[in-house]
Amino acid sequence: MLRFIMKSLKTGVVTGQHPNAEAPQGPISPEAAKNTKPFRRSLAIREVDTGSCNACEMEMNALANSVYDVERFGVHIVASPRHADALVVTGPVTVNMERALKDVYEQTPDPKIVIALGDCAINCGMFKGSYAVTGPVERHIPVDVRIPGCPPRPVEILTALQKLREGTG
Amino acid sequence: MADAQTAMTQLKEVYGDSIVELTPLNGTPRLQVKKDAVPQVAHYLHTHPNLLGALSLLWAVDHRPRETRYEILYLFTLAERKDWLLLSTDLHGEDRLFRSITPHIHAAEWYEREIRDLFGLIPIGHPDMRRLVRHEHWPKGSHPLKKDFRWDTVLERVQGQHVFRHIEGEGVFEVAVGPIHAGIIEPGHFRFSVAGEPIMQLEIHHFWKHRGVEKLFERQQLTEAVPLAERVSGDTTVGHSLAYCQAVETLMQVEVPRRARYLRSFFLELERLYNHLGDVGAICNDVAYALAHAHCGRMKEQIMQLHDRLTRSRFLRGVNRVGGVGSDLTNEQLTQTVAELDGIEPDFTELEKIVLADASLADRLETTGVLLERIAWDHSVMGVVGRASGIERDIRRDHPFAAYDELPPKVVLYRYGDVRARMRVRMDEIHESMRLIREIRQRIPQGPIVVQPTGEPAPGTWALSAVEGWRGEILYMVMAGENGGIHRCKVRDPSFVNWPAIQWAVLGNIVPDFPVINKSFNMSYAGNDL
Repeated sequence: MLRFIMKSLKTGVVTGQHPNAEAPQGPISPEAAKNTKPFRRSLAIREVDTGSCNACEMEMNALANSVYDVERFGVHIVASPRHADALVVTGPVTVNMERALKDVYEQTPDPKIVIALGDCAINCGMFKGSYAVTGPVERHIPVDVRIPGCPPRPVEILTALQKLREGTG
Repeated sequence: MADAQTAMTQLKEVYGDSIVELTPLNGTPRLQVKKDAVPQVAHYLHTHPNLLGALSLLWAVDHRPRETRYEILYLFTLAERKDWLLLSTDLHGEDRLFRSITPHIHAAEWYEREIRDLFGLIPIGHPDMRRLVRHEHWPKGSHPLKKDFRWDTVLERVQGQHVFRHIEGEGVFEVAVGPIHAGIIEPGHFRFSVAGEPIMQLEIHHFWKHRGVEKLFERQQLTEAVPLAERVSGDTTVGHSLAYCQAVETLMQVEVPRRARYLRSFFLELERLYNHLGDVGAICNDVAYALAHAHCGRMKEQIMQLHDRLTRSRFLRGVNRVGGVGSDLTNEQLTQTVAELDGIEPDFTELEKIVLADASLADRLETTGVLLERIAWDHSVMGVVGRASGIERDIRRDHPFAAYDELPPKVVLYRYGDVRARMRVRMDEIHESMRLIREIRQRIPQGPIVVQPTGEPAPGTWALSAVEGWRGEILYMVMAGENGGIHRCKVRDPSFVNWPAIQWAVLGNIVPDFPVINKSFNMSYAGNDL
């Protein structure tokens, strides 16, 4: 137990020890600002992977580590779409995941927003046109916010979420 | 125990009438087997005490338009010296039937179902003829890797439902999980049959993420497909791009400069390091030991930020290219990396001591999710999972690539096959990777980092390549097409082999232990589904 406590004391606070975002995030649209208004103080996110290469998932997971600690901004990751305010969708929407994506969208209670995370979700990326891909995400469900990158760095996702919180462009 | 040459002689003695020796492929002996004799020959190779060949890869090639034939190829790894041996068989003209080897060799099960789905060839005698990659809503006759199937075909959606294996009896019920899971993980479906808490059967229903990667490769030029290989499985960017590059380099007879080979090993070990660190934490987290998760997450992040500084990519994208590496590192950068690791190693060792001394953690992890050596061998399981179950295989030692001929790694081996063994393999490999990186810094030679590949390989020629990624053996088969294009690229992530083994490791365990068992395997869904 002592070792346990000593380890934590020795490590200290690491939150915020990351470089700043470089890639500028596009302004959020007025509709997106309006749609996100109810969630500015607290946003419950459900992540849905529709066929990404899993790099986007890793960066979403990184958001929860002690360096980025997204929870300090009132953003938390929830286990079910029924608990969610926002769907974060990654991947180009494969033929096999299309139905599941629509189901998840329907099961997320209103009001809700959809965030397309990564180039695949926004424009299918390298997988555009493949027989096994039916995306991008906005072909199937309305998308409010787009966070580009392959994959976007955690700090870029953080910045985009901050913008939503502030409701500014 | 036999090497590949004596194995071949032995096979020819026994099955002389049915096999023809072909010219070896870059040193790997090849035998062409008559179609009907394949199951016997494979069975002999797999079970004869002298040979004990483990099936490492099974794939098909549609040779049209050059020739009207399909070819099915089997790559075996022999037990003692891990030599490779290739078997192949031809399907001429309109022939669509081949003999299944699954009744003799478990490891062939998914491969043969995959071939059926992607090529429309029927494995006669296969015990499970359900669809694998193509879910039931795909129309009949849609076999994407056939040459007459257009890459951008729009598939219509038909009615159909997957039929699971059922166990019936009093008190038996089914638990369906997925495709969308509770955490931030990739989609896949797990169907448990349970009686009370213990799991009686698990069926994995995957391929939700099938993106058509192998078909997309066929639209690329040999020298330009590296970015696609990097996106097969994002967490294995270096492993996949390296395996792809090596196959193309063999095909184009490119000699990669020494310094580039060292840099490739350097980046591959960095990739192993950050993923293993994340996994150790995640395994602890799945039994609610959040402290280790927090510390490991911090160290993993530290390494990913280091990647970003070294290569402008947290996932080391753009590192590999055909002929060498994309960017050089200065001595200063190498020294900085080692300095960073010198900071992380004592930090991690301290955590390791806390984790391994914790009785409640040991209670949850020991004897949980045991994968027996025999079952692991039957399924050709390898990589981290295999080495935790007594399967001593490591491509870095058995078929040295990059700079591993000069930097032989210590192969970590545990025998218990439980979650804790899989965690300990990772812990030991973290130290080993750090040692290798330090050694690379000291021994890396000066010189060029890339050679420009020239010329075009003849259409139809092909090459195999293997890389020990952080999960295990990544295999690529690349066949040249017309005008420097790709005729066929077979991608095999270790996940494809190790996923079915989970179905055995969970038996008798309680459902709430499934997440930690799954995490201790930590297979890629994207790399599996392609």
